[in-house]
Amino acid sequence: MAPISDADDRTLAGRAADGDVRAFEILVRRYAGLMRGYAGRMLQSTDEVDDVVQAAFITAWQQLPNLADPSVVKSWMMRIVNRKALDRIRARHPHDELGSPASRGLPAPVQHSPEAVAEHHAVRSALSQVLAGLPEQQRQCWLMKEVAGYSYDDIADELGLPVSTVRGLLSRARKRVISEMEAWR
Amino acid sequence: MTPIDDQTPPDGLGAAGLPGGAGLPADAGLPADDALVLGGLELTSSDLNGHSIDELADYYDAGLTPPDVSIDDSAGCQIALAAIARLRALTAQLAADDEASQSGVDEGWVSGILNQISLQARAGRDIPLIEADSTTSHLVITEGAVRAIVRAAGDRVPGLFIGRCRFVGDVTVAGEPVVVEVDASVLWGQSIRQTAEAVRQAIMTDLARHTRLNVVAVDVTVHDVQSAAPDARADGEGSADV
Repeated sequence: MAPISDADDRTLAGRAADGDVRAFEILVRRYAGLMRGYAGRMLQSTDEVDDVVQAAFITAWQQLPNLADPSVVKSWMMRIVNRKALDRIRARHPHDELGSPASRGLPAPVQHSPEAVAEHHAVRSALSQVLAGLPEQQRQCWLMKEVAGYSYDDIADELGLPVSTVRGLLSRARKRVISEMEAWR
Repeated sequence: MTPIDDQTPPDGLGAAGLPGGAGLPADAGLPADDALVLGGLELTSSDLNGHSIDELADYYDAGLTPPDVSIDDSAGCQIALAAIARLRALTAQLAADDEASQSGVDEGWVSGILNQISLQARAGRDIPLIEADSTTSHLVITEGAVRAIVRAAGDRVPGLFIGRCRFVGDVTVAGEPVVVEVDASVLWGQSIRQTAEAVRQAIMTDLARHTRLNVVAVDVTVHDVQSAAPDARADGEGSADV
């Protein structure tokens, strides 16, 4: 008999909605890496990832009974993680508008010369640094669009910004990332 | 061009110590914050036939459809599209790296989640375990516990996973007719009809043994037929009511 850990997302999300903790545990293990990786990019820090993603999974458990289509549980949980990460960023600077351009006391990205970066990961490390160097709001928009798959409208909703502003931020982020990555072709 | 209405000050290309600005003429200074620089040249709006970078990204995301000759015939747009495609591939690799670097899940961290959610049981409605004419005793089983019975029954049937389970009817009144609806996925190679019948029987038997529910039907909806080694995706909506 196939173990329940082989079951598809819809089955597991449906069971978890009904109160099956074991099914939810499988979903946690299946997507913990994805969610933690995304949260780390969004937060630009690793020490808050544990808390943020843990809180996101607990919220997911609470809200699963309201999820109309359990087959979309992965992208639905990704959105919860995204929201928790944004909440955490807002909480860092309660008096700032989200994403105002101050460097926010975050550690500057470690800078390596291209030669110093291990060959295998050089290009990806470069992209990682370019993203870290983006202004916060640009980076948030870019991650939500390019990694989490949000629409422009959904990004605007999440960030409380006009869609035109989101388009402007994304446009600048894309130009900058593309331009800076061009040297790594 | 896209309006620039955020308040971010220009803080310079190549500031991260990357060779992004290396190909620029020394006297060109840093390009504007929103410049698109490819191959050491700044691509202007006219180079892109008036298209913005996000229009091009959207065009790429739409699979280059519907065809737009003002993009397809523009050398500048084609250069930009190629750069967008490279970046997309690289982004996918970065996201996969991020995921892989987080793959060793800390057991204490997982336990922290499970300990919290275990305290938040989903009891649901109270289902009487004693006939309606009994006035002296009150004994109930929760809907959540009955769902667990249904899942356990389904899990005894090889080649099938039970998903969500619903009771249609007033389960809080003893003797009321109840329809049990379960969602299921069946492993590839099984007879859907036979497997569904086996699970129907198992659920009927266990509910009769452990509850006083008046089960008039068990409806099994097979939402997916999955291979034995699933890729853990819940798509392929091959719904079939049996």
